[in-house]
Amino acid sequence: MKEIIDRLQELYPIGDFKQQNKSLALITVDKDKAVDFITRLKNEEGFLHLSIITAVDWLEKNKFQLSYLINNPTTKNSFVVRVMIDRENAEMFSIHHLWEQAATYQRELKEMFGIDFPGSPGVDKPFILEGWHEIPPYRRDFDTKNYSEETYFPREGRTKNVPAEYMKQKLYPDE
Amino acid sequence: MSKLFNIKEDRSLFPEKNEQGKIDIDLSSHKYLKLWHGPQHPGITGNMSLEITLLGDEVMDCETHVGYLHRGFEKLMERRKYIQCFPIVCRVAVPEPDFNEYCFASAMEELAGIEIPESAKWLRTLVLEMARLASYLMWIGGQAGAFGQGIIGQWTNYLRDSMLDRFEELTGGRVYHMYIIPGGVRGLLPSGFKQRMEENLKFIEQMMKDVERVMFNNAVFKKRSVDMGIIEKDWIYKFGITGPNARAAGVPLDVRKDNPYLVYPQLDFEAVTATHSDIYNRADVRRRDLLMSVDLIRQIMAKMPQKGEIRAETPNVLHWKVPAGETYSKAECTRGEYGYYMVSDGSEYPRRINVRGPSYTHAVSLLEKMIINCNLADIAGLMVSLHTYPPEIER
Amino acid sequence: MGKINDILSPFTAWKHLVNEPLTVKKPLEREGADRYRGFHKNEIDKCIGCGTCEDICQNAAIDLVPVEGIETKDGDSGLRPKIDYGRCCWCALCVDICTTNSLSMSNEFKWIDEDADNFLFIPGADDKPWNNSEKGWKKPDYNLYDPNRVDMQELHPEDRDKSFIEIVQGYSKEQALKEADRCVECGICTATCPAHMGIPEYIRAIRNDDLEEGLRILYDTNPLPEICGRICTHKCETVCSVGHTGDPLSIRWLKRYIADQNPSERFKEILGTDTIEQNGKKIAIIGSGPSGLSAAHYLALMGYSCTIFEKLPLAGGMMRYGIPEYRLPYDQIDKDINYILSLGVEIKYNVTIGKDNTLDQLHKDFDAVFTGTGLHLGRSTRIPGTEHKDVHFATDLLREISLGNEIPVAEKVVVIGGGNVAMDITRSMARLQNQKFGKVNVIATSLESEDIMPADREEIVEAREENAQIIPGWGPQSIEIKNDKITGLHVIKCLSVFDEEGRFNPKFDENIKDFFEAEMVIESIGQGMDLSYLTDEIKENLKMDNRGRIIVDNNFQSSLEWLFVGGDIIQGPDVIHGIANGHKAAIGIDNYINSKK
Ligand code: SF4
Ligand code: SF4
Ligand code: SF4
Repeated sequence: MKEIIDRLQELYPIGDFKQQNKSLALITVDKDKAVDFITRLKNEEGFLHLSIITAVDWLEKNKFQLSYLINNPTTKNSFVVRVMIDRENAEMFSIHHLWEQAATYQRELKEMFGIDFPGSPGVDKPFILEGWHEIPPYRRDFDTKNYSEETYFPREGRTKNVPAEYMKQKLYPDE
Repeated sequence: MSKLFNIKEDRSLFPEKNEQGKIDIDLSSHKYLKLWHGPQHPGITGNMSLEITLLGDEVMDCETHVGYLHRGFEKLMERRKYIQCFPIVCRVAVPEPDFNEYCFASAMEELAGIEIPESAKWLRTLVLEMARLASYLMWIGGQAGAFGQGIIGQWTNYLRDSMLDRFEELTGGRVYHMYIIPGGVRGLLPSGFKQRMEENLKFIEQMMKDVERVMFNNAVFKKRSVDMGIIEKDWIYKFGITGPNARAAGVPLDVRKDNPYLVYPQLDFEAVTATHSDIYNRADVRRRDLLMSVDLIRQIMAKMPQKGEIRAETPNVLHWKVPAGETYSKAECTRGEYGYYMVSDGSEYPRRINVRGPSYTHAVSLLEKMIINCNLADIAGLMVSLHTYPPEIER
Repeated sequence: MGKINDILSPFTAWKHLVNEPLTVKKPLEREGADRYRGFHKNEIDKCIGCGTCEDICQNAAIDLVPVEGIETKDGDSGLRPKIDYGRCCWCALCVDICTTNSLSMSNEFKWIDEDADNFLFIPGADDKPWNNSEKGWKKPDYNLYDPNRVDMQELHPEDRDKSFIEIVQGYSKEQALKEADRCVECGICTATCPAHMGIPEYIRAIRNDDLEEGLRILYDTNPLPEICGRICTHKCETVCSVGHTGDPLSIRWLKRYIADQNPSERFKEILGTDTIEQNGKKIAIIGSGPSGLSAAHYLALMGYSCTIFEKLPLAGGMMRYGIPEYRLPYDQIDKDINYILSLGVEIKYNVTIGKDNTLDQLHKDFDAVFTGTGLHLGRSTRIPGTEHKDVHFATDLLREISLGNEIPVAEKVVVIGGGNVAMDITRSMARLQNQKFGKVNVIATSLESEDIMPADREEIVEAREENAQIIPGWGPQSIEIKNDKITGLHVIKCLSVFDEEGRFNPKFDENIKDFFEAEMVIESIGQGMDLSYLTDEIKENLKMDNRGRIIVDNNFQSSLEWLFVGGDIIQGPDVIHGIANGHKAAIGIDNYINSKK
């Protein structure tokens, strides 16, 4: 797989190559070249199968990582193509023209992470959520626990004790 | 279109297509009917719904709606320690939780650099095949039921139950097994297990002959399934189709063969394929895959070590920091490529886990395409023939 | 042809018409499998309420609650898990991780009730039909945390029995991380530690490789970490949850690891004690043992100016003069003490209160006085022959060794006593005999049988490795003296040491006798205090109990409000109680002085 990257290195700014296991390698590509690069892998290098598109929120770096997992059914090898995009007004070029199911992934990413894919069919339609008014829930800054505490109520009849604190209370309250 | 479904050739009633190839639907014309199929429809697998627009009995437009089961597992896992994700993952696909357990555990083990003991590998393979068998048995009932053959479901659900009995004695649970724990498995075979399993397998084989006679060699079933809902070969990669749906079209995609894991390299099997992915073909591929699972279980039980360690040493699970990195671990489930994409930032909590369930593509983009021009009565049969599990779509 | 077949073939289904149905008639009577994960059971007396089950439960299905009849005591929080079956997902992780192995599951799966609130119960405490079921999920044959301790590297017995070089080498980083990883963070140990140190917190700091944070946590409750990291009696380890089904955490060695790894030059920076605002008040402290140093440390942090009066030429008290160097090297004592001195604490050496200065004077010159003068007087068995000149007290000999003075060494020595001091002198003697005669012949004999010997287990093991003989379970009768020379010790079998009420009341069997040959006998059965510095006037006003001990309140304040007392003369004897006393007394003194204003 290194061989493919070595060959394409001149044409595309590919970074962070890592052979994760026998048949999976990780690479990072610039946002602007990513769709071009993925198209090339699909059309010329036999990476015909798209397994997933997903995102990772690197809140502390103020970036989203988009991961495209593509697979070559002949050589059985896969790449995770990673693209770092800005978290503010997050936007990425759509690849729905390459794979039909990409539109669904992109629609989900829009809903769950708030990453826009202009031109992707139905990208603005709610996918899983209905009537959602909070920030996109898969962002790291959405606090699920807090949300559920505010939205639901706890069951009656439950009390909490922390062993160490309880022992202090019982055995040495004044120290 | 008529290639997809046997429908009458007189299309005079059909509306004009617009430039995008879609039809303009004017509900006020009273020509069309909007119908919600699901989420509580017996012919729908799981809780999802199809918002369909009908012209007469024929589907003109369809939109899939999911979310009825959304529990935000992926997000929940980011707030839990790795070991605490272990009881969650099985819930992503109810009829075959083990693939989730395996993919999750193996992704974690790969990142942590842990090699699991030999007997654990065999036991994992065993439960994965048992899960496949049980899941197919349930599916067959669904497929037959969707075409009105209730009896098959009665039979195969009994057979599935016998498999759940084996799960129960091996894993301690019937439905959610929680058996493939990171680092290994949670128990060796109980004594007498193999014998009881063999009895089950014999009975399954025997009953599957009946199923073949009653369901597959059945004029009604053939009439409704042959040449219905064809998946063209060139759609396979275009839609990300995997598993029996792809294999029935002659594309031998099977992760067990393509990227062998666990002890599959030591087992003797071939990816089951057909030539013409219509409903009948896909059913047949699954039936043969089911029988292959029976064979694989026999092979595993014959070859597996009798004793041995069941779990590798791992750090204290209460504060297991998985080294930073990312990986994708996949397995062949009954519906195709099942995978866990795991990203670790080196802390005690996963940074991100993304579950790839085959239904994601099969039940949304593929179904929406295939259902057009389908007869209302065939929707259930078509959907079941794609073998979809909604929870893995919304996770 | 095929077509006809397709029409006829389905009719073969009819053949099942005559078959017996396969379904289970009464599924509710069906028993779960042997391994079934059914309702929880808990052996309530075995459970210690550590809460590890609660920690691992991802559903938050477990709460720890008090249970009637179960008391909170050392090593048992008195809490027990209560399970909410509205949340439990039957994963059995709680069973797999239970530190005592008390938790399990039955194979019962039916519990029918109309009221959803009833599905909350305390396994083992609430009477449930499945409590006695044998079958069900038990902890499988694996561990979710490592039950085995990381071995500490030690000098080989042959390398160590001639010298006083420190035996225990300390953990490497890798070892410390591995050992720290075993902790389940339950905090059960904190109550048992006399200083209530934040044990799980500093162990976590080790895991996070944040040793500076670890040091700060240590100093919160203990200003002598190098010392305690070596010779603390580690009572915490006796209650560690992990110890119930494996080896307890090496809490003491982990503490030492933190102290060892932080360079002493950086202590002030790490602990944020570069500048301390002074409040102008002065405190006198008598004795530079653990309690005095601890009091001085915490008082100094509060801005008091502290002066310690020490009778001997160096600071440390029993830590320096009672504990042999192979267990606690002097430079490590210095490391801890120097840091305390760097906070502005002053020590006046070779000053004996009652002789060079008086308590009354201190009362006049200072705002408050703390005394922690310890137990330095040897106690005698008073058996015939103890007045012989070759009968010694262990404390005296140990002090002389530390002072660098030569002490008498005989070829055959018997030590009476089974505590840590007895082991210290036994092992010191073994070394000295080795140096002098090239062989070891020392016997330590105690009243207590081996299982209840008060000395730390490893002390006994290591003493034996060094060829000392430890012979427990004998009561000394008399020392035989021939021609003015000791020839040995007569003993009789000791059957029990304590009576039913737990009082010291040894019972002997006079018919079972033995005789240990010896030329020298060392008594190590405990120490007494020397309170001669208390003047008669002070004594009159000071409340003491009938055994002559000063009575203090929770803040170690005596009935003379300016006088605070702590350390071995109040509690112990051991270092960690002294440290805890000193800390509390410091807070007490601060309260007292503030209340005077
Ligand atoms: S883990 Fe075990 S010992 Fe600890 S509280 Fe739970 S049941 Fe009791
Ligand atoms: S079985 Fe699992 S979910 Fe239930 S109490 Fe135990 S840890 Fe929690
Ligand atoms: S050291 Fe032992 S008792 Fe203390 S918190 Fe850790 S596991 Fe619990």
